[in-house]
Amino acid sequence: MQSLADTRESFRTAATAALLGVAVVLGLLETVLVPPVAVPGVRLGLANLAVVVAMSMFGPRQAAFVSLGRVLLVALASGTLGGPGFLMSLSGAMASLIVMWALSTRGTVFSEVGWSIGGAAAHVAAQLLVASLIIGSSAPLAFAPFSLGLSLPTGLTVGYCARLLLSRIPELSLSAAGR
Amino acid sequence: MTRCDVLLLAALAAVALLMFPISSAVTSSGVSSAVIHSPSGTSGVSLDEPGRYEIAGAQGVVILEVENGRIRAVSAECPDHICVKSGFASPGRPIVCAPNGVSVTVTGIRGEGLDAVSR
Repeated sequence: MQSLADTRESFRTAATAALLGVAVVLGLLETVLVPPVAVPGVRLGLANLAVVVAMSMFGPRQAAFVSLGRVLLVALASGTLGGPGFLMSLSGAMASLIVMWALSTRGTVFSEVGWSIGGAAAHVAAQLLVASLIIGSSAPLAFAPFSLGLSLPTGLTVGYCARLLLSRIPELSLSAAGR
Repeated sequence: MTRCDVLLLAALAAVALLMFPISSAVTSSGVSSAVIHSPSGTSGVSLDEPGRYEIAGAQGVVILEVENGRIRAVSAECPDHICVKSGFASPGRPIVCAPNGVSVTVTGIRGEGLDAVSR
């Protein structure tokens, strides 16, 4: 006989792994559908959808697993592990996680939309800072206002999508998630 | 979307707007100059005004032309004329005439193209 706690744990593990898969596919899909724009560091950030959902359903540990796992898997798959792009991705993902976690601990003050916006802005800021450190010049910071400005609508869009998605996940699975 | 979400959005938008003057100050500084290396020495050239430079190389003369803030080799006394075919120099993409020992490097911020894409 399986206990209820075991069932919840299994569900959490399976759902987190599925979200990691979704994050990787969304990230790759985005690079195919939307070519890199003229402003470096600006992306739709579709993969963050899975991270926001993981943060909302399970909490920061699972969100970190999805986000950092995605960065690692995509780097392994595309052969960019350890390169400058990888370092930028990793630092962006970590900064975004920290901000989203901080916003999510404020109860109902911020919604998933707020987490997503804050996370997107932190992602962009960290990437540009790391890019500046890597090339030893402040040149990438010149893009900061454009990148930061563009991260707001993309963060908003992804946040809204996450809310829509969460509202359509059946009650049953949410209660099994223990949240 | 809660009230604090909106406040966060507004605050970040304000930060982005306030950063515009700072970033434009960074970008406008120092793009337009080139450094010419040749057997007869090294010299700096401003790309702000058009001009023609005759550089004495190891085999013959290399003629460089500056127009619209860009520099290229228009003719060279060498076998392959690779430097002429390579067109305008840009930061990270110098002109090199190996037989004559002449090279032109543009200093400044690399403007176009991506050198890494993060995923």
